[in-house]
Amino acid sequence: MIDMIEVFDRAEVGPLISETDYYMKRYVPKLSEVIARHSVKWDKETIINTDDDLTDRVFQAAVDLLAEAGAYCPETNRVMQFTREEILVACSQAPKSATFGEDRERKTMYGRRPDTTDDRPWVHVGGGIYTTDEQIFMDTVEKMASFDIVDSVSVPSILHLRGKDARVRSPQEILAACKTVRLAREGIRRSGRAGLPIINGISAASQPASMFAASYPAFGLRPSDGFLIDFLSEMVVGYEALQKVAFYNSISANIGSTSTPLFGGYAGGAEGVAVTATCYMIMGNLIFRGTYHYNAPLHSKLHLSSTKPLIWAIAMSNAAIGRNMGYPMVNLPYLGGGSGTKQYHYEMACYLLAIVTSGGNVFSGHPAMSVQSDSLVPDDHKFHAEIGLAAAKMTRAEAEPLAQKLFPLFGDKLKDPDKGMTFQEVYDAKTKRIVNSEYQKAMDNVRSDLADMGLEVPVS
Amino acid sequence: MGNEATYEQLKQSIVDQDEDAVLEAVNKALAEGVDPRDVINNGLLPGLNVIGEQFECEDIFLPELMQAALAFQAAMTVLEPKIKEAGGAEQKKGTIVIGTVKGDLHSIGKNILKLLFETSGFEVHDLGIDVDLFKFIDKANEVNADIIAISALLTTTLIGQRDVIDALKDQGTRDKYKVIVGGGATTKEWADSIGADGWSGSAYDAVVLAGKLVS
Repeated sequence: MIDMIEVFDRAEVGPLISETDYYMKRYVPKLSEVIARHSVKWDKETIINTDDDLTDRVFQAAVDLLAEAGAYCPETNRVMQFTREEILVACSQAPKSATFGEDRERKTMYGRRPDTTDDRPWVHVGGGIYTTDEQIFMDTVEKMASFDIVDSVSVPSILHLRGKDARVRSPQEILAACKTVRLAREGIRRSGRAGLPIINGISAASQPASMFAASYPAFGLRPSDGFLIDFLSEMVVGYEALQKVAFYNSISANIGSTSTPLFGGYAGGAEGVAVTATCYMIMGNLIFRGTYHYNAPLHSKLHLSSTKPLIWAIAMSNAAIGRNMGYPMVNLPYLGGGSGTKQYHYEMACYLLAIVTSGGNVFSGHPAMSVQSDSLVPDDHKFHAEIGLAAAKMTRAEAEPLAQKLFPLFGDKLKDPDKGMTFQEVYDAKTKRIVNSEYQKAMDNVRSDLADMGLEVPVS
Repeated sequence: MGNEATYEQLKQSIVDQDEDAVLEAVNKALAEGVDPRDVINNGLLPGLNVIGEQFECEDIFLPELMQAALAFQAAMTVLEPKIKEAGGAEQKKGTIVIGTVKGDLHSIGKNILKLLFETSGFEVHDLGIDVDLFKFIDKANEVNADIIAISALLTTTLIGQRDVIDALKDQGTRDKYKVIVGGGATTKEWADSIGADGWSGSAYDAVVLAGKLVS
């Protein structure tokens, strides 16, 4: 695989082009071309694809897209070009596993193939949702980390200092990022699982300076945690991302290449998102030198991941990489339903059935499109992890009819989702036990509904 | 009356997102003596309305929207001089200054909204991403804008939307403009809390909102 500095050089030597021309003359037409060339088509009904030939064509289309459109570096206004051979070598040499955590909690996440029913997928919970109160932040992290089935956590963001929000790029943001890390590590220690990894480093940092500052070892993050580096806009590889690549490779840390292809944006519809999401995983390894991928396609208008075409596209990208590359993946869903709502649970069940059977690992998701503060309720995430583990015993063909039964239970609500609860509304402040009977009842009802449909979800 | 076939050809060429066909239809209409303002109002804008509806229904996506907008812009380069020659003025719904707040480098949502504004008959001045708050205000002053539209995706950049409104208040020009906010991390509650004139969760709804605000 071409080395890191050679990759950086590609941002300095490729063809000069404006961003608009890159999209309208390279990415968009090439995406249409490779979709047609490889006959990638969604039938507008299927949620979980089972056609392996189609899956492999999506992968080939993704390789062609990168080889023919390249990536775009806005700082140099140049296309980063890679030959087809360079791309295929990178795919063949991509990591098949990533090891996280320390001591007793040190474990390995594997890239999974679709229809694998005899393994235990990696279980990741949490999310970077904004938390308003430091005590709730600590309690949230401690409770998530305390669940035995959990292998890693994403921690919320705490973005204020002395009661004021930290502005992006401000010195306060650096302090908030450092504080987030310190409190998160302490919350994890309090759970009794000190070595448990945080793999959404660093949720409160929007700029490299904040990430690097918060990575100072004394604050508690370690190379065995996971650090996210994202593609800012479709196919865009900015200098800030490459700065992070330079730094986190230099300390040999786990890198989570992260992408959010937008349904309805430059990527277009289901087919374009499937191909682009797959392409990002290839780019994540080749350009970001990632050890795992954070796949988070999103609907550009609804700001969630649980529409039928999106679930199809996300599952497809997992299957395409699982069959052809083996790169470890987690998928971050954004759901419409708020915490504790039946809608949220149904959305997650449908999503996890699709993703886990298609080769993804288990990852709980953001409720309420991730815009409601204090909406990270740990028991939601435990329940969803349990659903994910139950789904891992199924094949795609077995999961598809269940997903079809689940979708009507929330599909019509996506434009006006059910409002949910906050951490404070669910738990007793002292004991951290669930005291909201409505919350517990909704979860019990959904567990029962899933069992009736044929998906037994044991309580862990 | 009598120009229905011409208007239909103009409309269809926009719906087809075919720039060459649009220019051909425009030139044909002008050669037939059709008033350039009628070319816009009865031919091109109805086509753009169809494009907007198709985008809302997810029959087409951003690339097709951009192609239609580019075709419309190409037509306007032909039509605007003709309108000025005739001593008229182009009819527009209003003037909007749009951008993503300082510190925020996200552009796609803002770009979609810009295109929808343009294809709905607004004059749009796009300041891009990472925009200094006074650039919003200076540009709004310069072009005598009706609306300032401010996008922010990140929780840490939301504050930039409030800054623009606060600066307008400090300058005593808050009432001169309608300020609308949007973006991934925004909510109606946030918009209300900072005193914005409107918020929208989707680009299409934002166009409807802008229409109401300038009516």
